[in-house]
Amino acid sequence: MAIEIPKLPEHMHSGATRFIGRDVKRVEDPALVSGTVEFIDNLDIPGMLHCAILRSPHPHARVLKVDTSAAEALEGVAAVLTGEDARRWSNPAYTAPEGWGAYCVAVDKVRFVGEPVAAVAAENRYIAEDALELIRVEYELLPPLATPQAAMAPGAPVLFEAHDSNVVQSRVYNWGEVDRLFAEADHVVSNSFRWNRVGANPTETFGCICQWDLAENSLTVHGAYQTPRFWVAARAMALNLPSNKVRIVSHPMGGSFGGKGGPRGTDISALLSRKSEGRPVKYIEDRMEYLIAGFSQSWDRHYEASLAVKADGTVTGFKVRLIDDQGAGTEGWGTISVAKPLAAFTGPYRIEAARYDTVLVATNRAPSGAYRGYGPPPHFLVLESLMDMTARKLAIDPAELRRRNYLRPEQFPYTTPAGNEYDSGNYEAVLDKLLAMADYRGLREEQSRARAAGRLIGIGVASTVEPGVFDWNAYATVGVPGIGVPEGVKLAFDVFGNLTVVVGFTLQGQGQYTVAAQIAADYWGMDFNAVKVTTAATDVTPPHFGPGGSRLGVAIAGAVLGASQKLEDLFCCVVAHVMQTQPDQVELMDGRLRLKQNPAVGMSVAEVAGLMLSRADLLPPGVEPCPEATYVWTAPNRTMPDEEGRCRSYLTAANATHLVMLEIDRETGRTDILKYFIVDDCGTRLNPGNLEGQLQGALAQGVGAALYEEYVYSDDAQPLVTTYVDYLIPTIHEIPMAKKDFVVTPSPFTPLGAKGCGEGAMHTTPAVIHCAVNDALAPLGLEIRETPASPRRLWQLLHQAK
Amino acid sequence: MKSQLEFRANSAHLLLTLTDSEFTMKPAPFDYLTPQTLGEAVALLERFDNEGEDAKIIAGGQSLMPMLAMRIARPKVLIDLRRIAGLDYIREEAGVIAIGAMASKRSAEESDLIRNSQPLFHAATSLVGHRQIRNRGSVGGSFAHSDPASEYPAVALVLDMQMKAVGPGGERLIPADEFFVTYMTTSLEASEILTEVRMPVLPAGTGWAIQEFARRNGDLALAGVALSLRIEGGVCRQVRMAAFGVNPTAVRLPAGEAALEGQAPDAAAFARAAAAAAAALEEPMSCIHAPGEYRRHLVKTLAERCLVEAAGRAR
Ligand SMILES: Cc1cc2nc3c(=O)[nH]c(=O)nc-3n(C[C@H](O)[C@H](O)[C@H](O)COP(=O)(O)OP(=O)(O)OC[C@H]3O[C@@H](n4cnc5c(N)ncnc54)[C@H](O)[C@@H]3O)c2cc1C
Repeated sequence: MAIEIPKLPEHMHSGATRFIGRDVKRVEDPALVSGTVEFIDNLDIPGMLHCAILRSPHPHARVLKVDTSAAEALEGVAAVLTGEDARRWSNPAYTAPEGWGAYCVAVDKVRFVGEPVAAVAAENRYIAEDALELIRVEYELLPPLATPQAAMAPGAPVLFEAHDSNVVQSRVYNWGEVDRLFAEADHVVSNSFRWNRVGANPTETFGCICQWDLAENSLTVHGAYQTPRFWVAARAMALNLPSNKVRIVSHPMGGSFGGKGGPRGTDISALLSRKSEGRPVKYIEDRMEYLIAGFSQSWDRHYEASLAVKADGTVTGFKVRLIDDQGAGTEGWGTISVAKPLAAFTGPYRIEAARYDTVLVATNRAPSGAYRGYGPPPHFLVLESLMDMTARKLAIDPAELRRRNYLRPEQFPYTTPAGNEYDSGNYEAVLDKLLAMADYRGLREEQSRARAAGRLIGIGVASTVEPGVFDWNAYATVGVPGIGVPEGVKLAFDVFGNLTVVVGFTLQGQGQYTVAAQIAADYWGMDFNAVKVTTAATDVTPPHFGPGGSRLGVAIAGAVLGASQKLEDLFCCVVAHVMQTQPDQVELMDGRLRLKQNPAVGMSVAEVAGLMLSRADLLPPGVEPCPEATYVWTAPNRTMPDEEGRCRSYLTAANATHLVMLEIDRETGRTDILKYFIVDDCGTRLNPGNLEGQLQGALAQGVGAALYEEYVYSDDAQPLVTTYVDYLIPTIHEIPMAKKDFVVTPSPFTPLGAKGCGEGAMHTTPAVIHCAVNDALAPLGLEIRETPASPRRLWQLLHQAK
Repeated sequence: MKSQLEFRANSAHLLLTLTDSEFTMKPAPFDYLTPQTLGEAVALLERFDNEGEDAKIIAGGQSLMPMLAMRIARPKVLIDLRRIAGLDYIREEAGVIAIGAMASKRSAEESDLIRNSQPLFHAATSLVGHRQIRNRGSVGGSFAHSDPASEYPAVALVLDMQMKAVGPGGERLIPADEFFVTYMTTSLEASEILTEVRMPVLPAGTGWAIQEFARRNGDLALAGVALSLRIEGGVCRQVRMAAFGVNPTAVRLPAGEAALEGQAPDAAAFARAAAAAAAALEEPMSCIHAPGEYRRHLVKTLAERCLVEAAGRAR
């Protein structure tokens, strides 16, 4: 029987929903607050060694000689790993596009400060660190390339010798008649923007324990992995192991946000285990290693962009030229962040045509990685800033300008010029609710009074679309193949009728186990706390990907519902056989399998499960004694990209509009956020508490990117930000608690109508804050177009104006 | 071989050249000693000093531990003061407030004596780091550490505080203007221990203020100003101003003091004094968050705001 997944909670046929959409207490939290969660650093395996990594102090150098003899002689050292070992036993990291990855330990040359040049496994971390001090490395310095401009200059040294330049990819996408629309425009609003490096900073850095089984030639890895199956495949390729001989046991994580990199840490620990007779080797990345050389850095961008605008404020065309500093190769999958904006290139607007001119460049900065939002947040800062510049130029209120350009509800499903299809939305309803909640008119009046008194008060209104539920085809343009991102669950009832939901991913903070439990409990009419959600190693769980690309809430809903329906069909067969009727005469309702004609007659779910496992004699012929089902969900109807990269990629298009009011201190350049409002629409809200957390957390990261955080490099490519003294993550004192409300426009394409919303406010907060900062500066004729709008930058701007 | 790596920290402002291995994060080996009396501690310091061994005192560890973990500090011996009884008092002795070096900043923050009798020191304490750091960090540790961005040295200059040091030769009192020598350096001898800091009860009617500019709540200041003044017969008297976070140690601002002395407490005079104070500063430090010129401007702004605030408090 075909599986039909309910499109709305109201369509759940097995009884009224009691948990979906409610603010239930999260199943993850008791263990987290009581400290019983086993994070990787808490785990000790008998015989375990500890790894420390020697890292390059140079951004670009040839490695002439690595002398490890003194380190090897130190008591307590089991093995020292060098580039020679890496060359012998492993392959460079697989990347997309191919050929821009390095070995886990530098072979021949180093390309960024912090790149591993040797590693030690010892009885404890202290000895391992001591041993590092005994390793002598001879370098021949090469010219450092600190910027893409330097890396593209004629005669610049080439970082990866297999290529003849440092340009990883140069590609122009044309969607529609851009040139004509710009020629016909009444106004063209153009500007340049600089988005400086920011990135994920989870509380827990990466960590793993690797054990190479020399007899079986297999690898078992315990560790903090966001997408374990993905890394299994990559590790097998890097370490020359059959993929079925690499097994990852993911541990709960203290956050990730995309920054849980770890390929090098894993490969180094694995090879150290191999070199020390298969003893387990633990590597816990420390904070300096994470900040300098982990996947902590993303989005290093130089933009030039323009809007074509009609006299009435209608925006008809959008052109973006992006030079993206990928850093020393693409092992961190930073290329994806350039491709992802295709999924929502024109944001919430009815823009007819667009051009995206991209140049991805390798430099001697750290390889850039994934970060919440994975590319669109800087893109939307550019688009929303241009919208505000247009509003100022045309003297139209910025909220009104957006309203005039929004897609209208009847236009959905809407195919954007860049090819993706938006599922649904009602942007004007979101804006109306926001403006009413914030008392927009009142705020503008307050602003004029404050301005008259000489204060620099700014108001920003910004609208964005969040591409949700990613598919690989979204990244095909940078060389990632395929369609379909399987997310599987196994539902298993035991002999007492208790239900276990086995998923392929582990805790990371978002609360997806709770969502799985809510849906399963509603389907099976059980108590929500009675559902056990658990994970298992990569080799036994169904195909899965895990969190990423704002997809897991939707995907897990689909998987739980699909598996539930499979199992319900099976239970109906069993009950029909016992009751001597046809399966279609049996239905699941409120936790019982009952006869449609005579609802008083039936069996509880527990009775059916127990019967299946203990009374094989009562089962219909051909039915196995197995009250379990697996279902693997992936987004339907995705398409291969055409020659301009156009395809149906991300399944959902959530949207949000934010409003912020802030004040700049003229003398210090400091920005204080006074008021913050959010209205969002991510379709059906499966768990309001989870959503509130996602929104507020992404808002915090957005405030960081807008005002505080920046990985600074010197002109010779030395990282100047190496600790939290200089990487300034805003704290509870700097982050406003936003006043929030929502609109619900269910997705017609997804399980229960939910949309991906995990990255959420990260798309909007940096944009809206910059819009407000520039609104505050507007009376002075000043404008900031670089992130973060730090006090120093604002002071310099204000100071130069005097 | 020395590396090119420049390690710049907001609190450090110095460029330290690290060896390759100093990417590591776990301390180098050291011995750890826990003397039970002050005498024992001083004797240990003296012995290691004579032997040419690098011994270091550890108090709350809030500054020293990160330096150990990054192997920036590599003492051979750590001497912990926490087992020594009786170094954590806060009391008044005939118009002088005495704080034992091992009193936590949190206890100073919670002390009614400090709050009522020395509100400037109290306000400075609340600006130090976060509550967790004030719980663990000692009052004495901040003086001994002599971080240029710390609030206490500036307050010490404004209040003419005195530091009591105990060494092999006995006890001595060091005035604030002789105590802080330069970046993370005091005039304490290698075998001396700071045991107490002393300050006067703030005379009634004195106006005071301390303000700083930090990127986030609890961060070390990029610039800060502490000051006190009296208003007598309608003019400003006994103006004492100091800045922190701008030079290798906290500095008095004599040009600002002179510009205000004897002037009526009005906005124009405050602006003139603040401008004079900032203009006379030695070239301020630079870091990625604040170039020197910006710091100078911050001192002017903060001084002006502090003067307004202090005048409002003066009676
Ligand atoms: C996140 C963070 C934020 C901070 N913010 C601020 C801030 O805003 N303002 C500020 O002023 N500080 C700040 N600090 C530093 C903090 O206040 C430290 O506690 C203080 O500098 C040192 O006190 P301690 O007791 O921890 O000393 P330790 O770290 O134990 O020692 C510091 C130094 O002083 C020496 N020492 C300590 N006690 C004595 C003694 N009795 N005699 C002789 N030598 C001694 C030690 O040998 C060592 O060299 C911050 C620290 C952190 C981690």
